[in-house]
Amino acid sequence: MTVKRITFLQELLDFMGLGGRLHLEWISSAEAQKFARVVTQFTDRIRALGPNPLPGWQLSNQLLFYPEPVAGVCPKEDSWNESKRPV
Amino acid sequence: MEREQKARVKEWLEKGEIDVFLGYRMFQGHPLPYCFHPGRAHEIQGLTEGTARYPLVKIALGMARREPDIRIGLLGRDCDRRALKILAVWNQIDPNRFRTLDLNCCPSPLKTQAECSYLSPVNSGFLKGLAGVENSLDLDEVEGWGREERFVRWMHEFQKCIKCYGCRNICPVCFCSECSLEHPDFIGTGDLPPEVPLFHLARAVHMAGRCIDCGLCEEACPVDIPLRLLYRKANEIMKRVFDYAAGTDDDKPPFSALEEKVTLEPRKIDVAQGEGR
Amino acid sequence: MECRFVPSICSYCGVGCGVLFQVIDGELVDTLPLKTHPVNHGKLCIKGWNLHEYITSFMRIKSPLIKINGRFRAATWDRAIRFAAESLKEVIERHGPDSVGVLVSAKITNEENYLAQKFARAAVGTNNVDHCARL
Repeated sequence: MTVKRITFLQELLDFMGLGGRLHLEWISSAEAQKFARVVTQFTDRIRALGPNPLPGWQLSNQLLFYPEPVAGVCPKEDSWNESKRPV
Repeated sequence: MEREQKARVKEWLEKGEIDVFLGYRMFQGHPLPYCFHPGRAHEIQGLTEGTARYPLVKIALGMARREPDIRIGLLGRDCDRRALKILAVWNQIDPNRFRTLDLNCCPSPLKTQAECSYLSPVNSGFLKGLAGVENSLDLDEVEGWGREERFVRWMHEFQKCIKCYGCRNICPVCFCSECSLEHPDFIGTGDLPPEVPLFHLARAVHMAGRCIDCGLCEEACPVDIPLRLLYRKANEIMKRVFDYAAGTDDDKPPFSALEEKVTLEPRKIDVAQGEGR
Repeated sequence: MECRFVPSICSYCGVGCGVLFQVIDGELVDTLPLKTHPVNHGKLCIKGWNLHEYITSFMRIKSPLIKINGRFRAATWDRAIRFAAESLKEVIERHGPDSVGVLVSAKITNEENYLAQKFARAAVGTNNVDHCARL
């Protein structure tokens, strides 16, 4: 049941663009090495994805109140932002 | 509306096979839902299928909750029939007490043109195509975008939400008496937009295995969030991963824990090693 | 079960969306949007969706109330209006007409709004008139 729900949620988050941030693993309290290994690997993977765009969200002010299209504005300056912004 | 269909409804009411019939009737130029009672059979002449879609199934569910023994007949579009099936699977209604007058408005092999109020073209604005997600897109087009673009576009849509709860109020398969979207610890009051994207993702997860793709939620959204696209994706995941199609399958959806059997195989415990606590 | 559907207009704000009330056995039970109404095209805000709760709420007052010694007591219309007029006159005499402000809203009709501003300008003698939408 848990596997089903987590699989479903992973796919839905991926559809929304927040994919790859949810992982499920069954670890017993006696398997300490496995726990350390899994957590380290997952932390590295998350770090490679970059910071979570949700907390620093400033899009609400920019897109809704400015009439000219400013599509592609992200809270941090990055390559997608620079290349997609219309002139 | 054909004469035979009206005659059939009249017959059902007069013979006492149903207690009330829910259909549409014109009132001052508007097609409004109307409840036909057996004592006033001459009113059946005014029965029409209506150009606007109202949630007749939800109205019928409310009536059945007040009076559990009532037998209701209603105008059954394809979406209404799927909704009734879902409600029956989730034990909300007794399917023997509901009778539908079948209307074929969805496109079928015999009829390529649909007659649905939902399919009239909606002119979406310039900014929506540029910065958001258009309501008429396919799932493949959305999945063709990159991860960051998908995120920015969906967040543009979700943050327009004014938390009117229209999508939940009008949905024919939303039947919980205590909605988790009103829980104070989950979605608090007083904030607009409501905790994006949690509000919409929560609703999408609840709609998995239940959404019948009627489109009433998108018609009721004041800010045109592409809800139907999101719930269609949830149901596509259900179909691909769990092989469950909402509205056509008769068995319980895979997320309901009601009849799931869980077995734990006994494992040999080695006390000396200290494992298997 | 006697079920009727009554079309109406939402009175909450100045937009005036079309709503449809569901009346079961004489009791207002549910609110739906009017899909074919030219103003809202079948969409409502959260206040419109919950009209049935506030129309039949037990918290609606049924008679004029006057606060005496910190507690609200029921009163007749004559007494309440006389009390309000006398208190207002006293305030105007003591602090001048500009100490009174009149706040109107979109929940009352345009005619009542006009009457309120006329009352403020002609009867009280002040320019302090404002609308709830400006807040």
